[in-house]
Amino acid sequence: MRVVLSELWRARTLIDALVRRHIATRYRGSLFGFLWSFLNPLCLMAVYTLVFSHYMRVAGGPNYHILVFSGLLPWIWSTSALHEGTASLVSSGHLITKSMFPAHVLPCVSVLASMVHFILALPILVIFMYFAGVPVTATWLLLPLIVFLHGLFLLGSVLGLSALNVFYRDVQHLLANILTFVFFLCPVVYPRTNIPERARFWIELNPLALVTEFYQMVLVEGVLPPLGALIYFAVAAIATLALGVAIHQRNREQFAEAL
Amino acid sequence: MVASSANILQSKADHCGDVGVQYVVDIVNLSKSFQRNSRSKGSYTTVKSALLGLFNRGSYDRSPRQITRAIKDLTMRIPKGSSIGLIGRNGSGKSTFLKLVTGIYKPTTGSVAVAGRVAALIELGAGFHPDFTGRENLILAGVMHGLTREQVAERFDKIVAFAELEDVIDDPVRTYSSGMFMRLGFSVAVHTDPDILLVDEVLAVGDAGFVAKCKDRIAELRKEGKTLILVTHDLESVERWCDEAIWLHEGEVKDRGYPRRVIDAYRHFVEKGEEEAILETERHVPAQTHPELGGAVETKVEAARWGSREVEITAVQITGADASERRVYHPNDSMRISISYQVHTAQSDLVFGIGIHRADGLNVFGTNTSIDRVELPALISSGRIDCVIDRLGLLDGSYVLDVAAHRADGYPFDYHKAAVHFSIRSDNRVVGVISPERSWLVDSQEVGRCA
Repeated sequence: MRVVLSELWRARTLIDALVRRHIATRYRGSLFGFLWSFLNPLCLMAVYTLVFSHYMRVAGGPNYHILVFSGLLPWIWSTSALHEGTASLVSSGHLITKSMFPAHVLPCVSVLASMVHFILALPILVIFMYFAGVPVTATWLLLPLIVFLHGLFLLGSVLGLSALNVFYRDVQHLLANILTFVFFLCPVVYPRTNIPERARFWIELNPLALVTEFYQMVLVEGVLPPLGALIYFAVAAIATLALGVAIHQRNREQFAEAL
Repeated sequence: MVASSANILQSKADHCGDVGVQYVVDIVNLSKSFQRNSRSKGSYTTVKSALLGLFNRGSYDRSPRQITRAIKDLTMRIPKGSSIGLIGRNGSGKSTFLKLVTGIYKPTTGSVAVAGRVAALIELGAGFHPDFTGRENLILAGVMHGLTREQVAERFDKIVAFAELEDVIDDPVRTYSSGMFMRLGFSVAVHTDPDILLVDEVLAVGDAGFVAKCKDRIAELRKEGKTLILVTHDLESVERWCDEAIWLHEGEVKDRGYPRRVIDAYRHFVEKGEEEAILETERHVPAQTHPELGGAVETKVEAARWGSREVEITAVQITGADASERRVYHPNDSMRISISYQVHTAQSDLVFGIGIHRADGLNVFGTNTSIDRVELPALISSGRIDCVIDRLGLLDGSYVLDVAAHRADGYPFDYHKAAVHFSIRSDNRVVGVISPERSWLVDSQEVGRCA
C-alpha cells in the first residue's frame, strides 16, 4: 500500500493536471459551464423534496430539503467517483497501452475530480441553510476529516473495481445497478430516524450510509458523530483502501495486455 | 561512431563486466508470451464465461490455449549514447520489445533494467483531448512525460516553435490536421530531456520539411549523448542513423552489428522469402494475384499460351549475374533470359521475342530478334537462345515476362504470355518506371552519379 501511495504522491503534478482537465472537460462547450455542478444536485433535491415531502409525506420537517441536499452532495460524489473510477482504466486504455502511464493515477483522478465538485457545491448548501435559518456550527470543523476518510474509502473502492473491470467488463454494469439499490439503503431521501431500530445496525454497517449520516450531523444538525461510528468508518476506509490497492497491485502488470 | 561500435563488439564478447561502457538498457534472458484463450472472442472475458470455465473444468482444459511467444530468451545490452535500429518483418516482436523496454509490458521471464528517463514515441499525441486547445494539451502532455509545470512553461515557446504551430496553439486540437496533431506530440516528446528515446515508426510525421527537422532534433539529442532506439521499416534511415542494427526474427535476434551488413542480410532474407512466394504462385497457374511484401497485388496480365507449335518453347529461365535462377532483382542487376526451344519444322524466318509488362499491365519493354536486327543462324532440333540485359534499370514493382517464337510476319509458333514473374526491389525513391544511369554536374563538374 505504501508503494502505491508514494507513487501517487510522486505523480501529484500529473494528477493535478489531469484533475484540472477532467473538471474542465465535463462542462466544456456547455452554456452554464460550472453551474451544472450546482444545478444537478439542486434539481435532484427539488424532485425528492416534492415527491417525498409533499406527495408521499413520508418525510417531514420544514428543513427536509436541506437534509436531502446535505446527503445528496456526498452521494453524488460517491456515485460519480465510483462510476467513472471503475471505468477509468478501460476508457483511458490507450494511455496504458501506448504510453508509459501509471495506471493507478486514473482512478485517483476520478475520485479527486468529483471531490472538487462536491466541495464547490457546499456554498450552495450554506446559502440554503442561511435562508432556512439553520446555523453553520463549529461541527463543520470536522468536515475535512470526514471528507478525507470518505475519499480514502472511494479511492480504495475504485482502485480495486477498476482493476477488476479490466478483466470483467461486467463490473461497471453491475455497479450501476448496485448503486441504485444502495441509494435507497442510505438515509438520503428519508431521515435516518425512519430506519427501523432492528435494521439500524445493518444499515449503518454500510460505510456509504454511515458517511451520509456523518455529513448530515456535521453540516446541518450541528452534532458530532458518535466516536465509535467514526472509528468504525476510519477502519472500514483504510481496510477498503488496503484491499483495493492489493487488487490493483496484483493485476497491474496485466493491464496493458488485457486492454 | 567507430568507437561505440567497438564497444558493442567488446560487450558482446565479454558480457560480464567491461570497464568504461555504461549501459542504459540491460536485458537478461527476456521472454514474453501472450496467452490467447481461444474460448473467448475478445481479449477479455466476462464473469459469466469465467464462471462457465470454472464449472466446465474439463472442456476448459481441453480448449487449446494459444501461447504466442513474442520474445524468446533475449539477452542484450545497449550502451549509453548508442543508436540502435531495430529491424524485422511485421510480427517479429519489435513493438513488443519496445513496450517491454518502456515498462508498458512486464516480462514473462527474465529482466529488463533501464537506466534513465525514457521517452517513447509509440503513439504521438496519445492522451490529447480534442476539445482542448493545443496549449492545454501541450501542458498536460509535458506533465505526462514527467516534467513539472514550471519546466513545461519554460519550454513552451520552444516546443510550439518546433512544431510550427504558433498560430493555432490556442485552437482546440480537434481542428488540427493529423500532421499538426502529430507534430505537437513529437515536439513535446523530444523536448522532455529523455535519456533514451524510443521511436516506433513515427518519423513519417508531417511534410518533408518537418521530417528533416525531426531528424535534426534526433541528431542533436544523439550529440548530447542520448540513446536512440529506432524501430522502422525504413532501412535507409537505420543505415543513416544507427551505429548498430538489430534484426529481430520471430522474437529472437537473428543478427546484430554494423547496419549495412545486417540490413543486407535482412534484405536478402526478405527477397528470398518473396522469391519463394513468386515461385509458389507460378506453380499454381493461372497466376492472377501476386503476393508481395506489402500485400497482394492483382496481376492484370494473365498467363496464356498459343501458337502452332511448329517451333516450341520448352522452358524459360531468368538468371542473375551469378547464373542462379532468381525472381527478385535490383535495378542495377543484370538479367539473362534463357529460352529453350525445340524446332519441329525447320523455319526460314524464325524470330524470338521478349516483352516485359508491369503487373498492372503497363507495357514496359518489348523487342525481338527481328527488331534488334539479329541474324539468327538456321536453327534445327533443340537449343537455347539467351537475351542478356546488362542493367535492368526498372523501378520497384512486380513484372511479368512474355516470350515468343514467331514468324517475321507475326504468325505465332509459340507464344507465352506471362511466362515468368519477377520483382524489382530497391530502396530507390525514384518515381516512375525506369531508372536510367545518370550523373549530375555543376558547371560541367560531376558532383554525383546515380543508377
